[in-house]
Amino acid sequence: MELKDLLNDYGLVGVISTYKFTLDEDQKVEDLNIKNIDKALKMVNLKEEVKDKYLKDLSLDELFKIDLINKLDKEIIIVGNLSNCLNYKDRDFIKKLLLKLVNNYHKKIIVIDNDVKVFFNLVKVVVVVNGKDILYETKDFYDDNLYKYTSSPKIIELVKYLNKEGRNIQKTTDIYELIKDIYRRVS
Amino acid sequence: MTSDMTIISTNLNKNILKNYSDYNIITTEFTYDDLLKYSKVIFYNVLNNKREEEIKDLFNYLKEHHIAFINVTNNEEQVLLTDYLIIYGKEKILIEGPTLEVLKQEKLLKRLGIALPFMVELSLLLQDYGLIKDIYLDYKSLEDALWN
Repeated sequence: MELKDLLNDYGLVGVISTYKFTLDEDQKVEDLNIKNIDKALKMVNLKEEVKDKYLKDLSLDELFKIDLINKLDKEIIIVGNLSNCLNYKDRDFIKKLLLKLVNNYHKKIIVIDNDVKVFFNLVKVVVVVNGKDILYETKDFYDDNLYKYTSSPKIIELVKYLNKEGRNIQKTTDIYELIKDIYRRVS
Repeated sequence: MTSDMTIISTNLNKNILKNYSDYNIITTEFTYDDLLKYSKVIFYNVLNNKREEEIKDLFNYLKEHHIAFINVTNNEEQVLLTDYLIIYGKEKILIEGPTLEVLKQEKLLKRLGIALPFMVELSLLLQDYGLIKDIYLDYKSLEDALWN
């Protein structure tokens, strides 16, 4: 299956890879001519003053958000570096926004990151690519083969470790579900 | 303050680096040999694509060669790889100290938008449930504390 087919099926696809911003950092935000910029800035929780800043002076979270709103009118939106650029509150906020763009506005979004945790509660399918070719594709965050290409999130490592030791913990990506299960097993 | 530390920030901005003008800033791929030219280096959000073991090896290498280093990152798991932690917010230091002491200020960190490393967060939550008494950073110690 091709990436385009996966996007048609799921709307949102996670890609394990490194993402580089392609914006020219020597220009100002207002020079990007983002459509309905005031509304777009509000949507990503940025203040209007950002418009006067040079891209090279933006913090990483601002750069991520500008990169996103700069692509809102594209057929396929490609964003990346959530794990590098955003703190956890912003990560949750942006994940909800991306889901809204797919579910309510029928956008197709590719999220590129090396941190699988970013894809929890966001994508139904994760792929590893080499150029345009899909090297590996999975819907299971507990799939060992996925971690040949990137690091495993700690929650997955811990659950696998405990189950190897015979503790019979349910596979989850939610820390609260894990705690409930541990509580049931040890009480 | 130790010479090796991690900086994590509510909104990572290169302006933070002005406070460390005697350090050489690494922002792109590098080799171990490149680093030998320096006595002090800052990794600015450049280690996030490396596996934890690779970063541990790198930090051990720097220590062996007496190169002071600061890891500036948004990756909460990496804070456990150094013993000293500084939290920045709007280019000012908000909290600093030994890593685990800083991480125990869970409520303040969450208010700032800083996530805890998974094992620290899990340990603190399991403490709230009365299941363990300490913070465990490795899986075996946590399992022993829970089941033995």
